[in-house]
Amino acid sequence: MIELNDIHVVFNAGSALETRALKGVNLKVPKGEFITVIGSNGAGKSTSLNSIAGIAPVSRGRVIVDGHDITKWPVHKRSKIISRVFQDPKMGTCEDLSILENYAIACGRTKPKGFGFAVNKDLKEQAAENLSILGLGLENRLNDKVGLLSGGQRQAVSLLMATTGETKVLLLDEHTAALDPKTAAFVMQLTKDLVAKLNLTVVMVTHSMSQALHTGDRTIMFHQGKIIFDIAGKERADMEVKDLLELFKKDQGEELSDDSLLLG
Amino acid sequence: MSYYELMGTFELSFIFAILALGTFITFKILDFPDLTVEGSFPFGASVAAVLITSEIPIISNAWLATLIAAFAGFGAGYATAILNVKFKILHILAGILIATALYSINIRVMDGPNVPLLGVDTVFTVFEDIEYMKSFEAKTLFLGALVLAIKFSLDAFLATGVGLSMRASGSNAEMAAANGVDVGKMRLIGVGVANALAATAGALFAQTIGASDAQSGVGMIIIGLAAVIIGMSLLPSRLMWHATFAVIVGTVVYRLAIAAALNSDATGLNASDLQMVTAFLVIFVLVVQHYSSGFLARKKGRKL
Repeated sequence: MIELNDIHVVFNAGSALETRALKGVNLKVPKGEFITVIGSNGAGKSTSLNSIAGIAPVSRGRVIVDGHDITKWPVHKRSKIISRVFQDPKMGTCEDLSILENYAIACGRTKPKGFGFAVNKDLKEQAAENLSILGLGLENRLNDKVGLLSGGQRQAVSLLMATTGETKVLLLDEHTAALDPKTAAFVMQLTKDLVAKLNLTVVMVTHSMSQALHTGDRTIMFHQGKIIFDIAGKERADMEVKDLLELFKKDQGEELSDDSLLLG
Repeated sequence: MSYYELMGTFELSFIFAILALGTFITFKILDFPDLTVEGSFPFGASVAAVLITSEIPIISNAWLATLIAAFAGFGAGYATAILNVKFKILHILAGILIATALYSINIRVMDGPNVPLLGVDTVFTVFEDIEYMKSFEAKTLFLGALVLAIKFSLDAFLATGVGLSMRASGSNAEMAAANGVDVGKMRLIGVGVANALAATAGALFAQTIGASDAQSGVGMIIIGLAAVIIGMSLLPSRLMWHATFAVIVGTVVYRLAIAAALNSDATGLNASDLQMVTAFLVIFVLVVQHYSSGFLARKKGRKL
């Protein structure tokens, strides 16, 4: 479903600030697989996600999703097959628009946007029905501005919006990192439920090693712009955070001691 | 203020309301501060005036000339948006560049700094011989109806899939793109339409005062802004059809305030003080907004 072939990403190429964020990343994610991505700050985990989403400037290599070579596709064209949930709850929704209007925009992601009225009775019913899954009572607040919702509510709505239509690939960029633990757990459970129900192919970036090992089917770790581990199946099931740290030490000959990486 | 003066104020208000609806699209919906209108307003006036006085059959028809002026304005706005979208030039600078170029272009179009529109048929000629109404009343009524027609078309457009996409582009461009909205295209269309409205206002303004002048664009951006800011402060609402109505009300209130200030002997102001009074009025409203933030500004959302 997702294929990264020898992806190189360079920021500020040719200047004194040149940063080689990705140095030849190869990755294949089959259809229906839920893959978690970890790594310390600057390791390249978000950049690799952004190369799939179309935000990172890929200087070499090819990105193939659902059989299409999308390396040169603009973001809005990729959105037909790829949807995203951002880390910042404010990013995934338009705060000036109502919940219903936001939902209408998300529904237009996989369909062309025409000159018909965006919000109609069918859409209203569909939105109410889907929002009721969240159990937040938002189905009764369809005309409220999204700006009035809390961060957790907005993230739940973003997630719901990202899974409307014929989405095939879901990209999650630390989408629970900005939430309090209880809300984060709620959003994570919602993620698992929606992904299972819709059989989506998922790439989830996270800072929490424990979350990475206990969510999805496969875990990869980035270090200095490259994938250093790729574990799945029984090996992964038996692994705890301390084993992962041990593996890192053995492999790289250095301690993994980044404050930004949650060891718990 | 006499009845005649009052009607005159309404007449000009409605013309400027067309421009202000364009300003509403760029500043409020697209979050694209567009200064092209300083050039596209006189561009519309110039194109219409030259066509009307050309004596070429069909094209010299005032209605058609005004429509062509609108398309010319669309082109000007489109050019500004191209500079921003394709060449990544800062939106404000892109508008200034096109407006600056248009100043010379307008003089080229008119083959001089102005074109008088005396003794030719304008769109207002038909209102001169109406039995049961004075011509200035008919003109004002027509312009009011025209503004409302534009307002309702804009309301309908903003409720469509494309219109909603345009609103999302201005509110959260990254989210819009992630949801399949071509943000660049929305800017091209939106800024184009806003300048088509500015050019239409310019064309009608020239036909009302009986001349097109290359200097007539000075201060247009602040007039549009004044209307939007005053209107949305007086009638804050998050509903689009309320907001477009507020813009029209804002224009009328602004013109009445200006007329009152300039006509009153007590203030000691004269016509050339117009730009200064307008600027102070906008500053005044923004300062009031600043001090009432937390209470009013939250409801209104983003400040200009």
